[in-house]
Amino acid sequence: MSTLLQLQDVSVSFGGFKAVRDLSLDIKKGELRCLIGPNGAGKTTALDLICGKVQPTGGQIRLGDVNVTDMEDYEIARAGIGRKFQIPSVFKQLTVRENLEVADCRNTGVFWNFFHAPGGSERSLEELAEFVGLKDHLDEPAEYLSHGQTQWLEIALLLAQDADLILLDEPTAGMTAQETRKTAEICLQLRGKHTIIVVEHDMGFVKEIGDVISVMHQGQLLAEGSVAEIEKDKKVREVYLGTSGISHA
Amino acid sequence: MDFVLQQFITGLSIGSILLLVALGLSIIYGSMGVINMAHGEFIMLGAYGAWALREFVGLTLFPSLIFIFIAVGLIGALIELGVIRHLYRRTLDTILATWGIGVMLQQIVRLAAGGDLRYVQMPPSLASSVSILGVSVSAYRVFIVIAVAALFLVTWLLINRTSIGMRLRAVVQDPSIASSFGIDAGRVRTMTFAYGAGLAGLAGALVAPLKSVSPEMGTGYVVDAFFVVVLGGVQSLFGTVASSFILGQLSGVLAYWQNDTIAKALVLLIIVVLIRFRPQGLFVTRVRT
Amino acid sequence: MATTVNFMKSKMKTKTIMQIAVYAAVCLAILLLPLYAQDDFLLNRIARYLVLAMVAMALSLSWGYAGILNLGQAMSFGIGSYCMAMALKLRTVPVHTGTEGLPDFMVWNNVETLPWFWKPFYSMPFALLAGLLIPALIACILGWFMFRGRVTGVFVAIITLAAMIVLSLLIIDQQQYTGGFNGITDLAQLELFGIVFDAYSSNTYFLVAISLTVCLFLALALTKTKGGLILQAIRDQESRVRYFGYDVALYQTAVFGVSAAIAGLAGMLYTVVMEFASPTFLSVQLSLSIVIWCAVGGRQSLLGAMLGAILVAGMQGALSESEVFLESWTLIMGGLFVLIVLFLPNGLASLVDIAAERFRRRQHDATTQDEPAPSAELSEGKL
Repeated sequence: MSTLLQLQDVSVSFGGFKAVRDLSLDIKKGELRCLIGPNGAGKTTALDLICGKVQPTGGQIRLGDVNVTDMEDYEIARAGIGRKFQIPSVFKQLTVRENLEVADCRNTGVFWNFFHAPGGSERSLEELAEFVGLKDHLDEPAEYLSHGQTQWLEIALLLAQDADLILLDEPTAGMTAQETRKTAEICLQLRGKHTIIVVEHDMGFVKEIGDVISVMHQGQLLAEGSVAEIEKDKKVREVYLGTSGISHA
Repeated sequence: MDFVLQQFITGLSIGSILLLVALGLSIIYGSMGVINMAHGEFIMLGAYGAWALREFVGLTLFPSLIFIFIAVGLIGALIELGVIRHLYRRTLDTILATWGIGVMLQQIVRLAAGGDLRYVQMPPSLASSVSILGVSVSAYRVFIVIAVAALFLVTWLLINRTSIGMRLRAVVQDPSIASSFGIDAGRVRTMTFAYGAGLAGLAGALVAPLKSVSPEMGTGYVVDAFFVVVLGGVQSLFGTVASSFILGQLSGVLAYWQNDTIAKALVLLIIVVLIRFRPQGLFVTRVRT
Repeated sequence: MATTVNFMKSKMKTKTIMQIAVYAAVCLAILLLPLYAQDDFLLNRIARYLVLAMVAMALSLSWGYAGILNLGQAMSFGIGSYCMAMALKLRTVPVHTGTEGLPDFMVWNNVETLPWFWKPFYSMPFALLAGLLIPALIACILGWFMFRGRVTGVFVAIITLAAMIVLSLLIIDQQQYTGGFNGITDLAQLELFGIVFDAYSSNTYFLVAISLTVCLFLALALTKTKGGLILQAIRDQESRVRYFGYDVALYQTAVFGVSAAIAGLAGMLYTVVMEFASPTFLSVQLSLSIVIWCAVGGRQSLLGAMLGAILVAGMQGALSESEVFLESWTLIMGGLFVLIVLFLPNGLASLVDIAAERFRRRQHDATTQDEPAPSAELSEGKL
């Protein structure tokens, strides 16, 4: 399989503090990659770098054949990267349907959009809402949704966006065990159709969905491999010292 | 040389008045995120206070200051309790609410004291002029520079060297955590707002002898003060000082080069460009969010 | 399932149709008003409020829908009004002018020849276009300058305010070309397609009312497009919109420009109605008043903002005969305004929504008694 996303020696520092240093990642098309690591390891910053929220101070990021390193965030989004943030960020005053309409961003041109009504593809948006269980809430403002529903709405937004590469930052944060299972199910269904990078703390969740796991520590890549390999890795054990390995992290 | 010094002193004088009117706003905006459009009216109340105390009680300017500080501070506290308190999560709406309050204050004064211009007498001891390195300067303007420096020092000490200041800084950083450590965030805010309002009152009383006093006098001040604060950086008292100084000097120089109106327009243009490129203010360093 | 979906869809459509009906009814009432009020003086006054309503509506478009708090809305308004005033000044009878039709105030200021930027205003079509396009162009440049730099919230408010003050200072300063503090007075009457628009006539009233109606529906149509939806999304979560690939700055600039064009048109009409242009048309006072009207009526409703302006400005005007009334009214107005900001953040228009919500809930309660509440369980459907 061909490489979709490639990070080469990417670094960034905030006022002298190197949040990410010389990070290299190679994500294949259709892969579901989990990014784990202790607090402050630079996982969220790595996602910020990929989606253009933060500009790298060194290194190169390529999406397919395109160099996205110095692109504006919205240009990177157009190139095919979608992002779900840690803190749910949906459009609160808009209804679920309107949220999905906005996320359906095949045409981003300002003139086109001011001369077209929303709802070009009504059908598929409803299917999406059904897929994440929000069909009955289509005409409710997003601010009335529960925490879990908001998370799913965000995932639906990403699907409506139909990005090649989807970045999920802690999709199960604050979810009940049952909700987490459902989210894992959604992730598994997405595998293959989309390339996904998930940042997660919940090891049960990672085990359930992960093919390849990358472990970060202090801004660097510490180890990479399957769940079994990572669990045996000595360096990873050291980092998670006192917690007897990542399985109990 | 004389000319340069003359220019510098003119700029310093303009800057000191800017700082005087901006200090209260800076504290309120910087520590509470409230954009207090009624600030100009607090200044106006201070000026009317000076006039009324003189007219009806026969008090001269200096003893009046203490009463004005307390009275305007109390009004500020009442406004914080009645209105501002309910708007902490809606920063932009504080512009609207405080503007409404400003309109009310203006109108109350107009109804009570009439719309005529009033004049406040300069303390006779400061009515003369002094010579600084051969340049003749109004003694009252020198006094204002000193008074502003003193007010700034007191404010800085209050915030950085007292326990109430520490509590305020804690509330600014994170109100909910501060509350969980037993700090009454609401009370701290009320006191801060009252202090800022009191400072505005003092500013009004102090500028009153230089300008005529009218119910509308605050509008111009609030706009100027606002520019000073934003340019200096929202949470930086020293930034406010530096930006008052820079804007004062800039106005002085441009006013000499062109006329007052064009100078003002140019200063505003410069402010616009600076805000565009440094919205966090000139004197605040960027931190990781 | 499909029937529920259709029902939902039709519900949404009904809402839009209701909205259009209400908007149309209000516009119709405005257009029919001269049938009942035949006093030209009264018509002139109402026309004035309608013009102000138009600016408030324009602000609602940028503030309510896109979250751009423009404290310099009066800038576009003022530019429009000066464009019209310049054109009408050049059409005055020679009594008011110096040699070769030089405006009177220029003669007083010893200006010998008409400055270059006045000359195109001999052409009425040019003046009309200028009144629309110059404000829009300036807004687009200013908008581009701000939004490219991702300036938001308070800083937008400051920059727009400062820009407006700069322009008004320039107008006051360049007295010999602009009439300074006095503005441009003693104007000719506007004449278009052979119709003369006397400020105190039903002609002018209809001109204003029709312009307002057209602008209101254009603005409404704009909010109903996909772009309108994106603007509202920008208002809610600006940064999130960028991660869908939309160039947020472009959308903001576009709506800022449209809003300025409407304000410019309103400014032109204001000159026709008031028969002069003055620096007070781009003052901080007026600009803040526009924000207040918008907030009182409901910033997120075009019609609400419009009615807010008519209500507040109208009351103020009606009470302006007596000084004491006016002053106590201003006091009450300030208090009322504070209360609205505190308790009705979306203005009087939100009363309609609150009532509708109550009604909906009552209906909902009635239906859920026979039908189990829909479960929010995740369906296993395929993508």
